[in-house]
Amino acid sequence: MNAFPMGSSIMIFVRHWQRRTLGALSLQATILAAAFATVGPANAVDSGAASQADLQAKIGYCQDCHGSSAQGYRGYLPIPRLAGQQPGYLENQLRAFIEHRRTNNIMFNVAHTLSPAMISGLAAHFRGLHPEPLGGAPRELVAAGENIFQNGVPDANIAACAACHGPQATGTGQIPRLAGQLYPYVIKELVNWGKERGQNPTIPDTSAIMSPVAHSLTKSQIEAVAAYVSYLK
Amino acid sequence: MEARQLKSSAHGATTRIAQLGFALLLSFGIGVAHAQDTHAASVTAKDVQAKLAYCEVCHGVSAQGFRGYYPIPRLAGQQPQYLENQLQAFVERRRTNNIMFNVGHVLSPAMITALVTDFHELNPKPLGGAPRDLVPAGKKIFDEGIPASNVPACSACHGPDAKGNGPFPRLAGQLNDYMIDKLVNWTKERGQNPASPDTSAVMAPIAHSLTKPQIEAVAAYLSYLE
Repeated sequence: MNAFPMGSSIMIFVRHWQRRTLGALSLQATILAAAFATVGPANAVDSGAASQADLQAKIGYCQDCHGSSAQGYRGYLPIPRLAGQQPGYLENQLRAFIEHRRTNNIMFNVAHTLSPAMISGLAAHFRGLHPEPLGGAPRELVAAGENIFQNGVPDANIAACAACHGPQATGTGQIPRLAGQLYPYVIKELVNWGKERGQNPTIPDTSAIMSPVAHSLTKSQIEAVAAYVSYLK
Repeated sequence: MEARQLKSSAHGATTRIAQLGFALLLSFGIGVAHAQDTHAASVTAKDVQAKLAYCEVCHGVSAQGFRGYYPIPRLAGQQPQYLENQLQAFVERRRTNNIMFNVGHVLSPAMITALVTDFHELNPKPLGGAPRDLVPAGKKIFDEGIPASNVPACSACHGPDAKGNGPFPRLAGQLNDYMIDKLVNWTKERGQNPASPDTSAVMAPIAHSLTKPQIEAVAAYLSYLE
């Protein structure tokens, strides 16, 4: 499945979500359609416009914080692994920082200077990296985390993570890879989901899909599932 | 349609009256469907709403289907009897799907009835995304079959508009990639419990006789039907 139908299906999903929760606002749907249309597949026609030297320089800059092989890094905050990440997800997140759909001042400043060609080049580069996971999570939580990831918690109406993120947590399209992601980063994102993602009311986005899931998980369930995915290669 | 409107109101959780109205309507519906089921009253409108929201995380809001890691099928407008049979099939391991086994085995009969009724009433637009150029060939296969290779017309059982009937599923608006996946893997996924043979056997020779391009064509055609 390529990135494009993935994007359009999510777009329709979000449109229905809008219709049901916010009411149909055709202007929002139009903006959203435009946003997804510009994301598109990683091999955009203008990807040749970023020179190799510029791309390498920018990769070096990214890896200052995201780790030498983009395997993630524990700075003052946990800084996520980008290695092996889905290009569709990375491109959408960079755009989300720019559009203030996802609030992060540092990443806003990083992203808003990137050309579309540079974004495609970076996303393709990170996709091709496969360093070992950084590790560091409590091993004793892994088994419980695996159970939640693969099976969900049906009694608590928590869907199996694997249904969308895949049985190996590799993600697809705009659905992110979670395999090898930093334990404290995954926890921080899930705990703060509704405060950090989907923050621009004029541009509702795909982060809405995760809202009920993040909300339903307890802190200890989040820790378990974060420990499990952090060790996946 | 009235039930949908009431449900939407309850979704907003703005008025107790709307919620009460929905609860009454729902319990009446369940009472009719399961007149002899003593557990029928055990499902509350609140529980049903929570379960629907859970289903829709993967199956898409309005249950129009969703492309997650796998193509996740449209449930909107589906035949209640087909949905009930499939949920049962997951639980009895007649149909192998670990995620849906876990989902299915905690559902009470009353909950299943409430869910399948809700999904049957939904009517969102198809998700789309299939190659349009395959549609005419797919329509021909669906309407007429392929007599030369002993493939019967799909419409004979699924109906001329592909809305299905009873145990025969609705295919109209179903995700094309989902249908391709099902038809290609039919006998590896369905009818897997030898102790409990089921109606999936009816489709086995048809799925086997269709070529991959024929499957893709018929899936493309169906995916655009409203």
